[in-house]
Amino acid sequence: MRSICLAGVVSLALSMVGGIAVAADNGGLTVPDGFTVTVVQDGLGAGRHLAIAANGDIYLAGRNGLVAMRDGNGDGKVDETAPFGNVQGTSVSIYKQWLYVSDDVGVYRYPLKKGELAPSGARQTVVSGFPKERQHADKTFTLDPKGTLYVNVGAPSNSCQEKDRQEGSQGRNPCPILEHYGGVWVFDGNKLDQTPASGRRFATGMRNAVAIQWNGSQNALYAVIHGRDSIDTLFPALYNAEDNATRQGEEFHQIVDGGNYGWPYTFFDTKLGKRVVAPEYGGDAKKVPEAGKYPDPLVAFPAHWAPNDLLFYSGKNFPAKYQDGAFIAFHGSWNRAPEPQAGYKVVFQPMKGGKPDGAYEVFADGFAGELTDNNPSNAQYRPVGLAVAPDGSLYVADSQKGRIWRIAYTGK
Amino acid sequence: MKISGVHLASAAAAMAAATVAACALAAEPAPPADSPPAGQQLYARHCLSCHQADGGGVPNMQPPIVGGSWVKSDPRALALFVMTGGFGSAERKDSAVDNVMPEFRQLSDEELAGILSYIRARFGGGASAVTAADVAAARADLKKTAPTTSRDTGARSGRSFP
Repeated sequence: MRSICLAGVVSLALSMVGGIAVAADNGGLTVPDGFTVTVVQDGLGAGRHLAIAANGDIYLAGRNGLVAMRDGNGDGKVDETAPFGNVQGTSVSIYKQWLYVSDDVGVYRYPLKKGELAPSGARQTVVSGFPKERQHADKTFTLDPKGTLYVNVGAPSNSCQEKDRQEGSQGRNPCPILEHYGGVWVFDGNKLDQTPASGRRFATGMRNAVAIQWNGSQNALYAVIHGRDSIDTLFPALYNAEDNATRQGEEFHQIVDGGNYGWPYTFFDTKLGKRVVAPEYGGDAKKVPEAGKYPDPLVAFPAHWAPNDLLFYSGKNFPAKYQDGAFIAFHGSWNRAPEPQAGYKVVFQPMKGGKPDGAYEVFADGFAGELTDNNPSNAQYRPVGLAVAPDGSLYVADSQKGRIWRIAYTGK
Repeated sequence: MKISGVHLASAAAAMAAATVAACALAAEPAPPADSPPAGQQLYARHCLSCHQADGGGVPNMQPPIVGGSWVKSDPRALALFVMTGGFGSAERKDSAVDNVMPEFRQLSDEELAGILSYIRARFGGGASAVTAADVAAARADLKKTAPTTSRDTGARSGRSFP
């Protein structure tokens, strides 16, 4: 049994704003003027995604399993913590009276009963039987209002080379991985005991869309996709280390039925501002694919920032400009080395009518602290999960220590 | 750690190899005084983006070299490990890390000796240098039956979280 450390929370310097405890140092974060930060929980170990119920109860998925948390006295800080269940994974989401969670091989749900913090009901299996893989194995998911379950099935590969990550190895064409991976598969979220074969491939050409989210205001699916690694070490005659650190955009797309987003045959080159053919498939660092074959991203974020969660804001707390805009949690890079690592922040992308409306801006930063030796291991915190509470405040989960922050607009 | 199919070089062979390597190095033009040694440059070119500048690896993604057992192991075994991409980690689903190690048999004996000597000095607690002859001997082993079961013990256990 794991012990839960709350001491770190208690010892932080605090002030009170409207009955909510506010961390004097903003919990280590920088946020825009008018926002305040509360450390609501700390020390849970590697956190992943978050979900918050209508009563304010917080559910965290993580590599140590699931944790339910409650702020009983309304000071913005968790005072009841209850590990539960037996699922170690990334995704967690609330749909109707169910808590949906996933691991590498399936999606499951627990009943949420009134008054209960940790679900006491038995776990049900919604989908199981995804092959056990190592790379890009998280089955992150989202549900639409009808209960359609969209599952990210990441490709167990960097770029579908004959030999994965081998210098000079050519791409398999057509890439056989795409038959069962590298896209979004849909299931009926209201049905139990489905298998991957009973799902339908909704979209393809997506290397790993950890950040996948239904946008309720647009009735549409969106994702931010992890772009490919290592163009320099795999094809040194075409790209150098600086190219690898900066050119392969992290692509933000609206995901449509039947869509193909270009992996592994192409990537979006942010230096050229256009999609190029991948070097494994005859690319020469300039060659572009057939016009119109793959959509350009809505936004190409900087290479290797690692988009791990996406949230469309519809809460009542933040100023008007945030309505319907997208928050993205960037876990931070490893593949930029030897160039400086980057990411490790929460970004806000203004949106209007489902399209970007101006440039993205950094919303919360300072997670990583001093990145000693340029190694991601030494990041103080890494943002990985996002959720909005019933009061409209934004919660952010960390994967290094299991800290959770609450960011609220107070105008102060 | 046990490695089948790999034999320790005899002391005499090791000494001879060291002599050969020293001669080979002496024959090359000296690098400019302000540039890092060849082994470090080759590490930066082939290894650093995954194992990082400090050899610490990336949690859940690539294992650390520091603290691992292979870096300090017999030079010939280490050379074989690297040339085979961790004994074929790409083909295995039981590996303790997300990302596979590619093969490095395309590098020359001298290049591999430079990289391995660098990582042993820097991340292997000062383990002895690896010579081009050690790598050549490992390359000969490569043509025999390759070991398929061993793996590094310095890595984390558990599942993947990019």
